[in-house]
Amino acid sequence: MDLSSFSDGFIVIKNNLAYFVWGNYPEGSIGGIILTLILSLSAIIIASVFGVIAGIGLTILIGWQHKLLVLILSFLRAIPILMLIFWTFFLLPMIFNVDVPAIATVILALALIGSAYIAYAVYAGMITVSVEQWQAAYSLGLNRQQVIRYIILPQAIRMMMPSFVNQWVSLIKDSSLAYIVSVAEFTFLATKVNNRSMVYPTEIFLFVIVVYFIICYALNLLVSCLTKRKKPLMFN
Amino acid sequence: MFFQEMSEQLLAPRYLGWLWDGFIVTIMISFLTILFSTIFGFLLAILSQSQYRVIRILIRCYNGIFRYSPLLPQLFFWYFGIGNILPLEFKLWLFDEPAIDLGYLRITMPSFEFIMGLTGLTFYSTAFIAEEFRAGMQGVKQGQLSAAFALGLSHWQSFRFIILPQAWQISFPALVGQYMNIIKNSSLTMAIGVLELSYVSQQIETETLKTFQDYAYTTMIYIMAIIMVGTFGNFYHQRLLEKGKR
Repeated sequence: MDLSSFSDGFIVIKNNLAYFVWGNYPEGSIGGIILTLILSLSAIIIASVFGVIAGIGLTILIGWQHKLLVLILSFLRAIPILMLIFWTFFLLPMIFNVDVPAIATVILALALIGSAYIAYAVYAGMITVSVEQWQAAYSLGLNRQQVIRYIILPQAIRMMMPSFVNQWVSLIKDSSLAYIVSVAEFTFLATKVNNRSMVYPTEIFLFVIVVYFIICYALNLLVSCLTKRKKPLMFN
Repeated sequence: MFFQEMSEQLLAPRYLGWLWDGFIVTIMISFLTILFSTIFGFLLAILSQSQYRVIRILIRCYNGIFRYSPLLPQLFFWYFGIGNILPLEFKLWLFDEPAIDLGYLRITMPSFEFIMGLTGLTFYSTAFIAEEFRAGMQGVKQGQLSAAFALGLSHWQSFRFIILPQAWQISFPALVGQYMNIIKNSSLTMAIGVLELSYVSQQIETETLKTFQDYAYTTMIYIMAIIMVGTFGNFYHQRLLEKGKR
């Protein structure tokens, strides 16, 4: 393998660049990196909402309800995402009795797994907020809903931001698993291009890895910049 | 009558045998990954304390690239990308399934898919374990190192006898979490054709169409494996803590 064949590989990537970015978009349905971003963004939003709700549930529920929630979350954290995608892919059409698009089943599976992890981060944040904060808020005459909504949750979320970002990055990475159910996202298109040419797999998959790295790292940088700017507000 | 209907609904025994074979492959690939990535992860974590800036930067690049990109393309990279570069003779040699004779023990070389899956998983997990262990070393109080120096231990001795045991104890729960992740991640190797549990499960599904039973069994097996690792981890961590108290 010499240098000239290496650069040939990058010509293949360059020729397929539009295909990598948005698939067959104007003619066919959207795909590629754009679809990966749509997929992971939807999963991130749903997972964060569910995760915060489940995290609050972990903090305030008691008795059998708490046990049930813990059981569900442990189940979600113990099975491989691949298995959960198989499950949703198989069960969703049965439950709703309609053809659910593969992409929706993947988003649901990713969101469920993500929310299970985010729930524990929220829970950890909420119990770390000191008892005095709860007491002070109650003595101001706020009810429990207001205490959680205005006092505890904002502090917990700010404290657990690094852990959230880790989860979001994981969700972007795991969106590549949509490949298994043939959703036309980035990894799937890359294997398609690879199957077509079959000559430059090294360059193609190196390119895929670098693109994912840039997306994930950019998200990480963005969030840490945003939270850093907010920090002085908290302390003045 | 009822029992007959029941047994028709269940998976035939031979498919259970398939699942068992898949489970063995999952355990093998996970165990080897855990072993190698723990060794390499520790080496990387220790090297990341190096006094040479070049080494530190290289290790940070390694950890960044492998932790901020998905496992699936990485596996494709190893299987297709590196597989393409490897000399043909090596692949032909592997294809013949050579065996290594060790007296009465005969170790058959695993398949090419298995080796590449193992390589991909190991490179990926090493970055995570290195990061967990580095965090553990940072958790050891600074005074410990100074105290070790004051006692007259050399740099290496204070590292070996003072810092590493404490770092191991601190990072152990996080490492158990990573080991669980390795078992779960091993399911991705089905994409490059490793005959592990998820792959076998898909095969059974296409052959029997008893999707629900098949997935239920597979899920249960995964959960069992995770619970086993968790229980063992808890048990060992308790012992570590007690040893620390003495």
